[in-house]
Amino acid sequence: MKNMKFIVGIIVFGSLWGFAECIIGSFLRDVNLPAGAIMTGIFAIGLMTLSRTTFRQPGMQAGIGLVAGALRLFNPFGGCFICSAIAIMAEGLLFDLIWTGFSLGLKKPQTLTIQASLGICSAYIVYVGGYIVTQILTPVFSSAGFYLENLIVFIPQILASGLLAALIGVVTVPAVFILKNLDISIKDRVYYPVTIGVSAICWIIVITNTILIMWS
Amino acid sequence: MRKDRLLPIFALLILLIGSVSSIYVYATQATTNTLLVNGQHYTIDQLFSLTQPRTFNESQYSGIALDDLMLKTGVSHPEQHAYTLKGADGYEKTVTWENMKNGLLTKESESVFSDLPKAFRVKDIVIIEVK
Repeated sequence: MKNMKFIVGIIVFGSLWGFAECIIGSFLRDVNLPAGAIMTGIFAIGLMTLSRTTFRQPGMQAGIGLVAGALRLFNPFGGCFICSAIAIMAEGLLFDLIWTGFSLGLKKPQTLTIQASLGICSAYIVYVGGYIVTQILTPVFSSAGFYLENLIVFIPQILASGLLAALIGVVTVPAVFILKNLDISIKDRVYYPVTIGVSAICWIIVITNTILIMWS
Repeated sequence: MRKDRLLPIFALLILLIGSVSSIYVYATQATTNTLLVNGQHYTIDQLFSLTQPRTFNESQYSGIALDDLMLKTGVSHPEQHAYTLKGADGYEKTVTWENMKNGLLTKESESVFSDLPKAFRVKDIVIIEVK
């Protein structure tokens, strides 16, 4: 039963992240805002921190990234969707590795300094790591091939673009910890209907949005 | 020292890396009105006047054919070379001759390839290098 709850948790958090990437991320790109850093700093870090502090299970965020990345593939609009899907999957894995690597004792309360630091480290490494992974994997899977020099000369820009994600992460992670202190929880009785319903709505909206754009 | 005690130090280091990189990027950004193609400077209007037009996706993307551009700018044995498109922000992508045959350069100096992901759309191209 606990395993089932864990798997459904992966699906609902991944669906919410994927939905945000497809709908809100596409809108941010359309209005020329730095969608990548905003999406990672707020939604990716927010949802993954919430899931990590709730379930306290290593491996969960890698799964969430896979679900969110898969949903992004269903929405082939707004920038390079293959790159986005690869980046999302990489971001989930990186978040998992960072939090497992620091092996934080999440059962005891963390100071605000630790929370803010965690926000900076997680958001920056996840964003920069995801960016680098997609810069490698997207050309590898294309007919052009990967050239290391293309990546090396662009490293300063990637490192610079991560700064915004880090600054957003300073706010996001402490905000999630504050939210957790409110002790809002879903009763067991309605856990499955709510989580499965939310996941289904996310997927239906994204797929419907894709079909509508293709027809128009 | 406990691992979580190291976190604030890592965080400060990350902010420092991000800030220094931002300053470096700002200081080294190229601004030019010409494109350096195969070692020679051209304005975008000159390139448009000497090269065949090309469109993709029912005129959604229009510009000049990248393969024809390379031939007109004096590249011989084009299939034996790779081509690196460099943007003003430092972003660059290297493509093959086959990709160039499916590519175009827009009036805004952006590359579009019908056979490659959008990651190969280099904006504000300042150099097309023949390797």
